[in-house]
Amino acid sequence: MITAFIDGPLWYFALAVFLIGVAWRLFAIFRSGSKPDFSVPRRSGAVSAFMTSLRRFVARHEMSPRIRLHVVAGYMFHLGLFALLLFAAPHVLFLKEHLLGFGWTPMPYWAFIVTSQIAFAGLLLLWLHRVLNPVTRLISDVDDHVAAVLTFVVMLTGCLALMEDFTGLRVLHRFTVELLMIYFPFSRLMHAFTFIPSRAYTGAWYGRRGVDA
Amino acid sequence: MNNDKRSLTAHQDDFFSVLKALLVIVLLLPIAPQALAAGNAEPAAKVVNPGAELWREVRQREAPVAGTTQVAGMDSGVLINIRGEQWRQFRMEQLIPAAGALLGGVLGLIVLFHLLKRGLRLEHGRSGNYLLRFKEIDRILHWYVATVFIFLALTGLILLTGRVVLIPVFGHEVFSVIASASKEGHNLFGPLFLLGVIGLLIRFVSKNFPAKGDLGWFLKAGGFLGGKHPSAGFFNAGEKTWFWLVIFIGLTISTTGLILEFPFFGQDRPMMELSLVLHGVGSVLLVAGVFGHIYVGTAGMEASLESMTTGYVDVNWARQHHDQWAETCEAEGAVISGEDLAKKQRLRGTKNRVPDRPVAEEGR
Repeated sequence: MITAFIDGPLWYFALAVFLIGVAWRLFAIFRSGSKPDFSVPRRSGAVSAFMTSLRRFVARHEMSPRIRLHVVAGYMFHLGLFALLLFAAPHVLFLKEHLLGFGWTPMPYWAFIVTSQIAFAGLLLLWLHRVLNPVTRLISDVDDHVAAVLTFVVMLTGCLALMEDFTGLRVLHRFTVELLMIYFPFSRLMHAFTFIPSRAYTGAWYGRRGVDA
Repeated sequence: MNNDKRSLTAHQDDFFSVLKALLVIVLLLPIAPQALAAGNAEPAAKVVNPGAELWREVRQREAPVAGTTQVAGMDSGVLINIRGEQWRQFRMEQLIPAAGALLGGVLGLIVLFHLLKRGLRLEHGRSGNYLLRFKEIDRILHWYVATVFIFLALTGLILLTGRVVLIPVFGHEVFSVIASASKEGHNLFGPLFLLGVIGLLIRFVSKNFPAKGDLGWFLKAGGFLGGKHPSAGFFNAGEKTWFWLVIFIGLTISTTGLILEFPFFGQDRPMMELSLVLHGVGSVLLVAGVFGHIYVGTAGMEASLESMTTGYVDVNWARQHHDQWAETCEAEGAVISGEDLAKKQRLRGTKNRVPDRPVAEEGR
């Protein structure tokens, strides 16, 4: 009964909250607009938006020694998670059968293991940095910790269910995924969708004033 | 006529009598074997499995005998290997009871010690001044290894002792789920522990070589057994011993874990068995050591946990436990006030605020 509920109604509810919530948040952000800028632009806002979006992928030279750990750990975690989400064999199969109707070549088993280890190490290091560094600890709130723990639990339950021998483990993973999907639109996890618009906006704003952001 | 009628009735009676007898026999037939067995019936002839003698011969050889097979693989020509049974007996009859006794014994000793001594207190209270003991990268590394190790210890103990401890509680079905999840998690996190141990080796090896005074520290049991606290540098002899135990046992259980997890490189059965024994024994020893490490780092020694949370320790703590190091730091002017530390930690006004005034010695 619990399995049927998690695989059925709860899944559709979580999917609806996720899709509607993310769309609503993005709509609210874009609808808020910005103040009209009547100054003569010194540089193209569009080009600056594009350049800043790319430039922010690399740490600024002046900052790099101080933030080396969380840049490296950040890439380990985010790229690992992205690869697991889109290229893990069970995920590809699920997307094909339940959402998209088509699939693609998944990563091999050994690559899944290595990728998940990289992602786990990255997430753990990032969270430890958050709680042990006085500055990041001060600017972190409950939302940051809940998001980190929830993401960790989702990844962990997924890996524990890797053999797909037990329905209970699969359902546990799916349940945690659904919790994450429901929590997602109301949390800082939204940065998955807003980081590019945010960079672009900053880049355009400064670019019109002739500043490389 | 009358005679004929009587004769017919008699035949009918005979017929029904036979029918009744047959019905009774049919009804009683199913319980006949039990009835026979209960009685003094002759025992059935014992059927001997014609292959039993052969299998006994195969199983009870002194050493496994390799046959010929087209299946490629290590030991694929061995029909039955008695070493598996020997490992099972060792695991169930020696390793698990010994592990339970060791872990339970260490926990018991810690509790007993704490009840008797209440841990080591700061002899002169807090000074309100601080010294940086561990940098951020060192603390992140420490907690990374700690987190991964605790996960591995829990899943490993489930795999080692689950049959004895968990099956009676949860039953076979639930335990099979727990064991499968533990195995996957243990195999996944194992290599992360190896990276952590290598990181510890790189960061701390230079401070952990034996030095003058280490023997004296051992003779005084690090100050736990009364008397004046023995002199020590950045790390005392106990911490150095713990460091090298973590490195050697950590590398051993990591290496043996990899041998077990990736059996594709020609490992034969004796090597796998040796790896299992070393992995199990080493892990249990390390878990027992971790119990002590956690105790000394928390309730067993006042104010020591701060070195791994904020990175700073009170000067009085440093003087009491690492007097040589404290002396050097003070000579270099590395002492900072509680107020400066609060600014550095950006903790002013938060719950985690470090005390910025000396805590009076009174009341101790």
